[in-house]
Amino acid sequence: MKRISLTVLGLYVGMLAAFSQSDTDSTQYKRRKLTLEEANLISSYYHQDGNNAAVTGGIGSERLTDLSNSFELRLSKLDKKDRKHTFDIELGIDHYSSASSDKIDPKTVSSASSADTRLYPSLNWSVENKKGTTLGAGLSLSSEFDYKSIGINAMVAQKTRDKSGEFSLKLQAYLDQLKLILPVELRTGSNPEDEKDYPTASRNSFSASLSYSQIINQQLQVAFLTDVVYQHGYLGLPFHRIYFNDGSEGVENLPANRFKIPVGLRASYFAGDHLVLRGYYRYYHDSWGLDAHTASIEASVKLTPFFSVTPFYRYYTQNGVTYFAPFQAHDPGQEYYTSNYDLSAFHSHFFGAGFRVIPPHGVFGISHFNMLEVRYGRYEKSNSMQANIVSLNIRIK
Amino acid sequence: MENANVLQTASMHRRVLKLMGNRFEITVVSDDAAWAQERINDAIAEIQRIERLLTTFNEDSETNRINRYAGIMPVKVSAEIIALIQRATRISRLTQGAFDITYGAVNKSLWNFDTHMNALPDAATARKMVRLINFRNVIVDEAGGTVFLKEKGMRIGFGGIGKGYAAECAKSLLQRLGVTSGIVNAAGDLTVWGRQPDGQPWTVGIANPDQANRLFSSLQLSDMALATSGNYEKYVFINGKRYSHTIDPRTGLPVSGIKSVSILCPNAEIADALTTPVMIMGIRAGLDMINQINGIGCIIIDDNNQIFTSQNIRIK
Repeated sequence: MKRISLTVLGLYVGMLAAFSQSDTDSTQYKRRKLTLEEANLISSYYHQDGNNAAVTGGIGSERLTDLSNSFELRLSKLDKKDRKHTFDIELGIDHYSSASSDKIDPKTVSSASSADTRLYPSLNWSVENKKGTTLGAGLSLSSEFDYKSIGINAMVAQKTRDKSGEFSLKLQAYLDQLKLILPVELRTGSNPEDEKDYPTASRNSFSASLSYSQIINQQLQVAFLTDVVYQHGYLGLPFHRIYFNDGSEGVENLPANRFKIPVGLRASYFAGDHLVLRGYYRYYHDSWGLDAHTASIEASVKLTPFFSVTPFYRYYTQNGVTYFAPFQAHDPGQEYYTSNYDLSAFHSHFFGAGFRVIPPHGVFGISHFNMLEVRYGRYEKSNSMQANIVSLNIRIK
Repeated sequence: MENANVLQTASMHRRVLKLMGNRFEITVVSDDAAWAQERINDAIAEIQRIERLLTTFNEDSETNRINRYAGIMPVKVSAEIIALIQRATRISRLTQGAFDITYGAVNKSLWNFDTHMNALPDAATARKMVRLINFRNVIVDEAGGTVFLKEKGMRIGFGGIGKGYAAECAKSLLQRLGVTSGIVNAAGDLTVWGRQPDGQPWTVGIANPDQANRLFSSLQLSDMALATSGNYEKYVFINGKRYSHTIDPRTGLPVSGIKSVSILCPNAEIADALTTPVMIMGIRAGLDMINQINGIGCIIIDDNNQIFTSQNIRIK
């Protein structure tokens, strides 16, 4: 993912205009061209007079010649009431290509759906005062060929008096518009040439997330998390086909309302300098009759200050929604039906390990390339789906 | 979540103490606490050794012996002092004389800089006050191992470079003794090397010139030194203009226009030595100089709280 992120942490003052001089600067020092030797002051600083026993050793001129060419300065600003403001402006661009979305309409292989570009600008603001109260709000937009979304959020967080615990509440709303692109054989009339011709539907999601985190002691931190989510609108997907038991075909039809309540508990245990254990459990229930449990544990072992290994295991189980039936099992007389296996009963195991290196001088000696993580996981789902997942995470500064 | 901090304190060993009349903070990263404390002791011994060489409070220091025989005769000193004077002279030439170790000759009684001052002295009086300041009159005989101040009454002092030199020497010693990560902070002239125990670069803040106990910005650094000089406390307003206690050695007048200067470079001695001259030279000449030197960054805050930086600083 290519992500351009622009962080402005409070604009302290007007930006640099390095040579827009104010009249307060009335010195008799003049700009002058430095000699080559002067320009190389740092790398030649001790070569010139190498008789200084206290300094000539150690540091090594090798490092001094490897001068970094730029520095990143992070500004923070406290306002008159001593509150710290933070602004984040992010512009994300994802260019992705997906094979399965082409199957919606085989004739449009080269259309926008085979390689969509998504644009999602967002603006978030937050302010924290000295008493440990944080207020925040944000706005985001996301747009792709068949999907447009507007998100708004507001949050409030309060630290406990001794700052060891924090309670937070976040309210979010996503107002989505989707184009109903039916599978090609189910479209009536002529194939729309213009994208405006597709019918649209709306889907609105509202959520309230509550969390409470507490540092119990130096070793143990816990957090309780719960969400209440309400969705309304077109909740299926128009290109999920249904084959009924009488041989006819349609697309999935699901209720227009869904109410979800996940409740979770997370704990981190810091056992000495080199081992961190993290555990997580979540129970999920929704109004379509889906109940699910997730439990996971991971251990992060720091083998050296620059290398760590993180084995992990996750177990997940759910019963199916009442509207689910497999291929050619639905009766066309039913009100709601889906054959999406994500809504069927199954359980899964996911296990593997991550390997993370943060060398002091950068990965492969490239100082800007400061973290490399390779994660391998094997995913086994009870309805015979298996996957091996390798992901690579790099950080470039 | 504060995971990083929990892991961090376990293998960072820090001591704060007064050395060279300033607050020093020495941090060593190691799994072995006893070993780290021993290394901190080594660093303290090194800084105390430098303090004895450079102090002007002890009549018998090498520095004071040079001053005592100013205009009389060359004084034999250690190779370390000769090398330090030679490097200081290079910085004086580089900064057109804004940095000058003979600044110690400023006649303090003539120049009653205090917060009640309401007028600047006239140019001639001011000039007279700094007449003995001239780095070109420090005669170094490298082969003979002597230093001679040509004019009677001249004095040298290492106030503008000594803390940085001490920080650099302490770091260098610690590295030779096997400390792969640490910080030496000599009252704000600091040098960092290696990484934090969690593998991250060190985060270093720069104080807000209006509220010295608050940070206005921070940087992620590894193997780098940062020095800041500012006129946070000592300044006066004359005719609505803010003047600092820093005096331009070429005119004898206090400088104005800049609240603080921070210099970033791999060498703490250079970082320390260049902050004051940039303040004296002013934004235009100062930044023009910094921009031409490889591997140095500079952040200036002027009296109007505007930030000026060298070209290699990216503001995030």
